[in-house]
Amino acid sequence: MIRIAAVGDVHVDKDVLGRFRPALEELPERADALLIAGDLTRHGTVEEARCFVTEFGGLGVPVVAVLGNHDHQSDQQARVSDVLTESGITVLEGDTTVLELHGHRLGIAGVKGFGGGFAGASASNFGEREMKDFVGTTEVIAERLENALKSIEVDALVALTHYAPVPDTLLGEPLEIYAFLGCYQLGRAIDAAPTALALHGHAHHGSERGRTPGGVPVRNVAHPVIKQAYNVYQLLTEHVDAELVAS
Amino acid sequence: MSTQLDEYLEAEIQSMLTDGRIAELGITVQRREHLLVLGGEVESGRRRDEICRQINERFPDVHIVCDIGITRASAPSEVEEIS
Ligand SMILES: [Fe+2]
Ligand SMILES: [Fe+2]
Repeated sequence: MIRIAAVGDVHVDKDVLGRFRPALEELPERADALLIAGDLTRHGTVEEARCFVTEFGGLGVPVVAVLGNHDHQSDQQARVSDVLTESGITVLEGDTTVLELHGHRLGIAGVKGFGGGFAGASASNFGEREMKDFVGTTEVIAERLENALKSIEVDALVALTHYAPVPDTLLGEPLEIYAFLGCYQLGRAIDAAPTALALHGHAHHGSERGRTPGGVPVRNVAHPVIKQAYNVYQLLTEHVDAELVAS
Repeated sequence: MSTQLDEYLEAEIQSMLTDGRIAELGITVQRREHLLVLGGEVESGRRRDEICRQINERFPDVHIVCDIGITRASAPSEVEEIS
């Protein structure tokens, strides 16, 4: 059994310091690792990244993150990543990390992701340069996720993104902005590998649960959606067959 | 001339919320007959107060009510089994 805690969209700045810490101090009793689904900061500054590290660092369990669009706002995403990495947080962008937990191998593949929309209402790689750049970015990022997911053999495989891979978890958001909240290409990447769970954030007004077309459970862990410091998910539950035990 | 409670005002407030220092993409703006209701959730009381102050300052003749909440950050009491 593995328990992973997850949250996204905590948007840390000086004014948030101390708000998550009491719940985070209890995290090692409840989960084996913490996954962060992007939007760690408000404007993606180095100063805010340091605030994030102060609040979410040194927990005694591994912390794995992807960045979100807010973490790109100041064009300092590389330095933001460095601040996180220096503090011991693993930042994924098109790559993977494998954690050994209770004798199980938990693999996490992560990308920020991008918009583009979903079946029947998606943007196409066609027309103006700007449009082709937009959808081209979506396609490249999804391909990197697919390759990352397929690159590891583990007992439980988790896909971590900021943007949503399915529309199910966007329910509650205005339909008109779905194309800016996620894309079907991320879902297709997740379905191309034996993914056990997909976690994302970004959709603050969305809903918690969904599934990809291929049946992979999807959870929107944006802080305003889960309304607590983090959610905890249990993977690889050992099912004991009661009848077998009895005989 | 007094500020019209129309779609342009709503759009202007949304862009104020996202463009500048505030950087909140998740605030809702609802027009009522004589007032404007701000909704959604942010990460701190200081952030909520700043949003309401800036919008009140920019549109002094509009009656604005601030129903923005602060997202709770307590530890979870349950575990969800994924299968
Ligand atoms: Fe966010
Ligand atoms: Fe976001």
